[in-house]
Amino acid sequence: MSLSRRDIIRAGVLVGAAFATALTGVLKDRFAFKSRKKSVREFNGKVDEPSLKINEDSDIILQMQSELKYSLQKPLEERKWGMLIDLRKCVGCYACTVGCISENKLPPGVVYRPVLSEETGKFPNTRLKFTPRPCMQCERPTCTSVCPVKATYKRADGVVVIDYNQCIGCRYCLTACPYGARTSDFGEFYTNNIADNNNLLKGNQKYESGPFFEYHKEQKRKGHSSPIGNARKCHFCIHRVERGLLPVCVTTCIGRATIFGDLNNPNSTINKIISKNDVITLLPHKNTHPKVFYIL
Amino acid sequence: MQNKFYKAPFLNGKFVALICILLFLLGIIGMIMRFIYGHLPAGYGSFIPWGLWVAIYFHGVGIAGGAFFIGVWLYLFDFPLFREVRFLRVLIVLGVAAILPSFMAVGLDLGHMERAYKIFFSPSFTSMMTFNAWMYTSFVILAGIAWYLSYKKESGWLKPVLILTSLISIAFPSQSGAFFGVVEAKPFWHSALLPVLFLTSALVSGSAVLLIIGNWFVSNHMEIESDYDKFEKTIRFILLGVMTLYFVFEWAEFSISIWNPEIENEAVKLILFGPYAWMFWGVHLIIGGIIPYIMLLSSSKKAYLWAALLVVISFISTRLNILLPGQSVGELKGLQEAFFHNRLTYIYHPTIMEYLVACMIVFAGIFIFYVGNKINSLTENYLGGNKR
Repeated sequence: MSLSRRDIIRAGVLVGAAFATALTGVLKDRFAFKSRKKSVREFNGKVDEPSLKINEDSDIILQMQSELKYSLQKPLEERKWGMLIDLRKCVGCYACTVGCISENKLPPGVVYRPVLSEETGKFPNTRLKFTPRPCMQCERPTCTSVCPVKATYKRADGVVVIDYNQCIGCRYCLTACPYGARTSDFGEFYTNNIADNNNLLKGNQKYESGPFFEYHKEQKRKGHSSPIGNARKCHFCIHRVERGLLPVCVTTCIGRATIFGDLNNPNSTINKIISKNDVITLLPHKNTHPKVFYIL
Repeated sequence: MQNKFYKAPFLNGKFVALICILLFLLGIIGMIMRFIYGHLPAGYGSFIPWGLWVAIYFHGVGIAGGAFFIGVWLYLFDFPLFREVRFLRVLIVLGVAAILPSFMAVGLDLGHMERAYKIFFSPSFTSMMTFNAWMYTSFVILAGIAWYLSYKKESGWLKPVLILTSLISIAFPSQSGAFFGVVEAKPFWHSALLPVLFLTSALVSGSAVLLIIGNWFVSNHMEIESDYDKFEKTIRFILLGVMTLYFVFEWAEFSISIWNPEIENEAVKLILFGPYAWMFWGVHLIIGGIIPYIMLLSSSKKAYLWAALLVVISFISTRLNILLPGQSVGELKGLQEAFFHNRLTYIYHPTIMEYLVACMIVFAGIFIFYVGNKINSLTENYLGGNKR
């Protein structure tokens, strides 16, 4: 053996120092999660008081809207947004999917709220079951800790967000989400490669290039700039919610199947309905604690 | 003795140059496509976000880690050929030449390549990707320091630095397995055996590359030809041993899926009977396993080198067979049918652009190895060899 005692001691010092450095880095990040710097814009402006008189007979949309405005008077960390989807009322109209695409100018291949459909039984006794699947805004999100650059994180109100200008587009978070709730914006446009020899459209259209207002910022899709190349996901329309508007999937739901509200408000509509029904979450064995609940 | 040495025909300078020109010409087309059209011509999507380039990346870092680890420890224990400090420099160049194109592969896969620096300036060490990136970078820096120290006579730090670098080199192939293993969302990946499988396959491809590189080195330095037989025997046995280990581990992984009455493992089914079953049975098991095994057990020196070449090329199938089936099975049933788009499916076929860029990545590896060894020759001639 050609290793001297001095070689072994020196190697031990180097290996020990390298190991200690690596361990410090990992432990520092693992236990400093809650104090993570906010990089996605939050809106703290004033929201108008509800102008209509709301009571229990009012449309549930108006009730939720009213509650939303009250919750917005609280500091961010005291709110906890949640969603409840009553599958008995979902008719599979896809209005929520389309509304979401329109609100966030989602390009081809990017979807925040697909509706899963399942046919059960045998003809003639068959039934179609629809399951809308927004981002679950998990209490224990598996997608955030795999991000190598802290571009995605859970806000104080529980909404999992992506900082488009920080995201490097590695797509690790896409693989880490068991619900497949993240999609990547590969830069596609609806009007690319269409037969328009006379250039009547004059390039990409407004409905696909923006502007749109995710994360309270005016966003436009062009060239290779963000959000093209980024991971994208449902964010409970926080740009609407923080201005006193319900998420677009809630307002477009013709069956009033989607309920949205503050889980920290014991008197909120969402909490009342949850308390009266058996609710489930998707893939509970994954231990992610989703904040999207379902009534079967 | 002189006529016993057999130089691998595929290491012939003209043949390698021809392959390189071909790879470069094909690769440049792929690079132009990649930079003009971005990710649009690629076959990966949102449900299968990683494809051929990521498999090449993991294969490259496996070769770098496996070859460096084995080579350095054989150097430290004075094994024939490895004890040559000139061969140590070749090992260092090999490590760098395998890892830099791997960076290139993963860089081209990023949605925002220009932001890759953020992994060093605002890292999150809760992500195995960050940890890997830092380890690779540390490896390249430490390999550079070892290369520098190898020219210093009686350097007391060369061996300690080599030990640290070798530990890093063996850590990152296993971390590559952990990279997938931590993803609980993919049951096929979420196994403690994955880091071990990645580590073993790195040792397999690394030792196979060493056999080829050793042959090339001796053919250029015939004065040390007497070392070749012992070198060949050592590496051949290591290769046979780690290959056996790999297949044992792989069998362990599959046997649980096959005999577990509660779990129907769709990913394993895909590997064994899916549309890419030929990748497992043909490329991995026959070309990368049975044939090289028989060749390595024969008494033909020619066969050893061809077996090593088969292993180096075909062992990328081990990466693909972990990477793709793991992504091809969704947890939520019906998600693929919920919204139709060609990037929202669990089917992946590499596209022409991906293959062309892969050509450039392989070219880059050979080119860096060539340039690195030219620099080695120049510095050795200038500084006077510094033989052991």
